[in-house]
Amino acid sequence: MDLPTVEERAGPRQFGPTDEMPLEYREAATRMIQFHANSEIMGAYIERPFIRQAPSLDRKLAVSAQVQDEIGHGQLLYRAAENLGVKTREEMLDELANGKGKFLNCFHYPLDNWYELPMIMFFVDGAAMRRQASLKRTSWEPYAHAIDKICFEEGFHIKHGEDILRELANGTRRDQEKLQEAFEKWWPRILQFFGPTDDQSTHDDFSQTVGLKTMSNDALRNAFLNAYLPKAEKYGLEIPEYPRVEYHESEDHYEVYEEDLDWDEFFTVARNELPTGRGQIAKRRRSQDAVEWVREAIESTPTGGQPATAD
Amino acid sequence: MIFEVFRQETETDYHTHVGNVHAPDAEMARMFAQVAHARRKPANSLWVVPKAEISEVDADDPGVAMGGTTQKEYRWATNYSTGRMAEEIEASEAEQAEAESRRRRPSAAGDDGGDD
Amino acid sequence: MATDETLPWDREYALGGPDELSEREQAAVEACLRALADDEFVLAERYTEWQVRGPTLESDLAVANIAQDELGHARLWYDLLEDFGYTESELIWERPLGDFRHATLVERPFERGDWADAIVRGFLYDEFEHLRLDALTETEYPRIADRVGKVQGEEHYHREHARNWLERLATGAVDGDPANGHRRVQEALDRLFPHALTLFAPTVYEPDIVELGVRPTPLSELREAWLDAVVPELEALGFTVPVAPDAHPEAVDTLLPAERGRDGSHTDAWPDLYDELTFTYRQLDRREAPRLMADPDDADGDGGAPR
Repeated sequence: MDLPTVEERAGPRQFGPTDEMPLEYREAATRMIQFHANSEIMGAYIERPFIRQAPSLDRKLAVSAQVQDEIGHGQLLYRAAENLGVKTREEMLDELANGKGKFLNCFHYPLDNWYELPMIMFFVDGAAMRRQASLKRTSWEPYAHAIDKICFEEGFHIKHGEDILRELANGTRRDQEKLQEAFEKWWPRILQFFGPTDDQSTHDDFSQTVGLKTMSNDALRNAFLNAYLPKAEKYGLEIPEYPRVEYHESEDHYEVYEEDLDWDEFFTVARNELPTGRGQIAKRRRSQDAVEWVREAIESTPTGGQPATAD
Repeated sequence: MIFEVFRQETETDYHTHVGNVHAPDAEMARMFAQVAHARRKPANSLWVVPKAEISEVDADDPGVAMGGTTQKEYRWATNYSTGRMAEEIEASEAEQAEAESRRRRPSAAGDDGGDD
Repeated sequence: MATDETLPWDREYALGGPDELSEREQAAVEACLRALADDEFVLAERYTEWQVRGPTLESDLAVANIAQDELGHARLWYDLLEDFGYTESELIWERPLGDFRHATLVERPFERGDWADAIVRGFLYDEFEHLRLDALTETEYPRIADRVGKVQGEEHYHREHARNWLERLATGAVDGDPANGHRRVQEALDRLFPHALTLFAPTVYEPDIVELGVRPTPLSELREAWLDAVVPELEALGFTVPVAPDAHPEAVDTLLPAERGRDGSHTDAWPDLYDELTFTYRQLDRREAPRLMADPDDADGDGGAPR
């Protein structure tokens, strides 16, 4: 298939593994899905310490299940990407370990305490859900299929996140203060989740013309703010004055003053150059290196296994 | 090794392809498939099949013409005009008509809740 | 399960419900439950350390599932202790370090990447748990009898998981040498075996637990059965075990570590672990640990969505 045909036929779930897709499409799709898969893994990484630290049995179960789901989503997404024939799962995981693999901005920052957890579990996961809902209409069918499953599982993540938020918001004065602090720290990063508005993003145009991406950054962010700003207010969180977010009633649109956000930092993060992000990548690599011997052992057992090449 | 995973919802359903697992062998693949593809929605049965064992005929393969390329309407109830028929015959014809009309339509976006 | 197919609700029980127990009976039931609950809880904690750090994505999912199963079991047993008026906070988050009755095996830390430890720990523990649960199917305490089946339902996967991994690590080549994988497992076994023996360390309540029928089979018998099961299996895979299956009990006892676990004495790993898991509870200045799910008595507990 040539590119003009792709652009013409582009629509929800139009393309699958039996279609001969042009390289440009396959590379764009791989990049997008790989980013998503990497984000699931790194999101899991950032949340995992809170399994140990959860302040009740049921919360511990829920956080463990969330982290588990995220690894599961990574598994589904790498597979959807592998189908494009550009990179194997092993190659993508190696790239994540050696710092080449990109992932969501929010997961380059540390989560310092329980108060910050709902910022990820509710707001960031909520933003991710919004994006995922739009991806149900992506043109690469295996990606859409993985998204179906992810959306099915992920609902409880955000609801659990909101429950944690609610508990803290209804807690002591100190809880509320700490919560507000956490919110102010994370708010700019959450706003940057969807990336810069359309004129600043490099890959977006192509992704949209071939149906991989179905909603613009701006539209996604707007939908997110529509749903989550009222929630923030419901829990007594004060939206900081900066960065400025103005609601224009006539257009039902939230205007975010992009100049109030630190895009230098964002692009540093996007290049995997933020120190805390590099730290996360390095930590994960060490953990993965430490279990390399296990992968070797099972790949060589007499019961089966093939050499550890393109799996 | 990659094992493709197939789920059977209930005793009376067919197995449907739902994804894969990476595992050293079938025994481990069976253990992993239960968690990767059925921990949320238990299935009646899971098949795990080494990817390499799956043999495929693809519509785009050279020489493949599933359904044929010359007229085959003689195989279709819709080809014959015989007036009212017993209800099971009418039903069979309606099914064939529906299948043919779906075949001619481009596929619509699936919106199911996934398998697990 | 017991070979005689009498269902829990069809039997007669020598012991009554939680409100009908004598002081002596309650003490025995509590001691039995605490060991059960604490074992599963701390075991689960160490398993969760493997989440996002598993050797493959799939094995990560599996170990997470096992962790959640074990935590779910702990929850069932702690819930039975709540019958006696204790709260979750009193049972876990605000409890004195030395009051916990888990075996030292489950608290032991492991080196980064030591998957052999996870497997050997699981193997040794799950074989014990299988025997303990089997013994508990004969319990005279109806509240325990009610829940054993549910727990057994999930333990089968755990045993299979441990066994399958053990077999593969035993023969798997690392750096081209099968001996390397084997060596790692042997090292884990050498390190963990003495701690596994604390699973069977009796407490002062043991005579009552047996006599009153809370667990009619004594720990000493469970230990014999356990040795009969694990030693030959490990030896068949080429591992050396520090004790012969027919070794005299006193010879086996000499392998026990100084800390016994069941009497509240724990290794140096426990204070740090406890500190970590209570950190947020203390930071938030909590006084209670609210539930997110229905009480086990009110739920189906079949893994599905709430009704």
